[in-house]
Amino acid sequence: MHELSVIIEVAKQVEAIAIENNITEVDSIVLQIGEISSMIPRYIEECYPAAVDRTMLEKTKLVIEIVKATANCDHCDQVFNIVDSEGHCPICQTKDWTLLTGKEFIIKEIIVC
Amino acid sequence: MSEFKILEIKQAVFEKNDRQADQLRIDLKNEGIFLLNLMSSPGSGKTTTLTRTINLLKNELKIGVMEADIDSDVDAITIAKTGAKVIQLHTGGMCHLDAGMTKQGLAGLGVNELDLVILENVGNLVCPAEFDTGSSKNAMILSVPEGDDKPLKYPLMFQICDVLLINKIDVLSVFDFDIELCKARVLKLNPNIKIIPISARTGEGIPEFCDWVKEEVKNWKGVSHE
Ligand SMILES: Nc1nc2c(ncn2[C@@H]2O[C@H](COP(=O)(O)OP(=O)(O)O)[C@@H](O)[C@H]2O)c(=O)[nH]1
Ligand SMILES: [Mg+2]
Ligand SMILES: [Zn+2]
Repeated sequence: MHELSVIIEVAKQVEAIAIENNITEVDSIVLQIGEISSMIPRYIEECYPAAVDRTMLEKTKLVIEIVKATANCDHCDQVFNIVDSEGHCPICQTKDWTLLTGKEFIIKEIIVC
Repeated sequence: MSEFKILEIKQAVFEKNDRQADQLRIDLKNEGIFLLNLMSSPGSGKTTTLTRTINLLKNELKIGVMEADIDSDVDAITIAKTGAKVIQLHTGGMCHLDAGMTKQGLAGLGVNELDLVILENVGNLVCPAEFDTGSSKNAMILSVPEGDDKPLKYPLMFQICDVLLINKIDVLSVFDFDIELCKARVLKLNPNIKIIPISARTGEGIPEFCDWVKEEVKNWKGVSHE
């Protein structure tokens, strides 16, 4: 399951940021996950405790924000949610669009005590 | 007043690895070393295919192999018998290699004299697809017993690969594996992928794969800068 290796990478990056900024305790990590990224939030949450076990982040909470999948229609320029509209432009019905958001996997911020 | 402080990070998790991988690719290109990242499920036939491929190519190319699939050195010993230079990477149970680990592995192997380095990545179809190793090209093996529906279950792996070897075609008659259906499913995900059916056991299809490798190595060495 790749969520485990990915969340271990997140923990490593957050630890490095904490050390860089002389932070000894992190209260929470806020992740942004795109609606159509290959990461499944529920799996990320399940793997998280194992990833931070016996690290400085052991007591750190994980907060996940979902980023909606939006696209820009190549024909009529409409911006729409591609999940809600099932992959086609709600105005002109074509499937030619450019993805704007939805594949993110970002450490948005950390909250420190 | 809150005693909490928010530190804005905005760091894309894969970006650091992607940057390292791009840099490694540029370095390898400048040194004229072609790195092939070979991925598959455990037991699909990576080591067997490598052995055959090296034996066919070793008079033309100087080849090195990095073994990351399993922590014991059985695969490394098998490869060493071909005469290729080989190193066993100890992944400590990690389910993938990233660009940093790949770079360390190359340094450990010593690549100055080599034309072609093949990385036998950790056996799974999920994690290695997420992490760019810095390889010149990506190859994967899908073996007949695994089933022709794997592209539906692990799309990302099929999307990031440049060549797909469908291995163990010597046992096609025993399994209900539809090669044409499998090809169609893969091409739908990745129209540019090269698909070669092989049997690492009988050697069928290996010369075609070797031709692909030779052509790619030639192209890689041909143009010295990106
Ligand atoms: N029938 C058949 N068996 C194969 C073929 N290639 C590999 N095998 C067998 O599959 C098993 C796993 O092969 P190996 O190369 O170690 O796979 P790896 O784990 O991906 O490196 C071994 O028992 C091989 O003998 C093939 O083309 N046909
Ligand atoms: Mg092997
Ligand atoms: Zn439209």
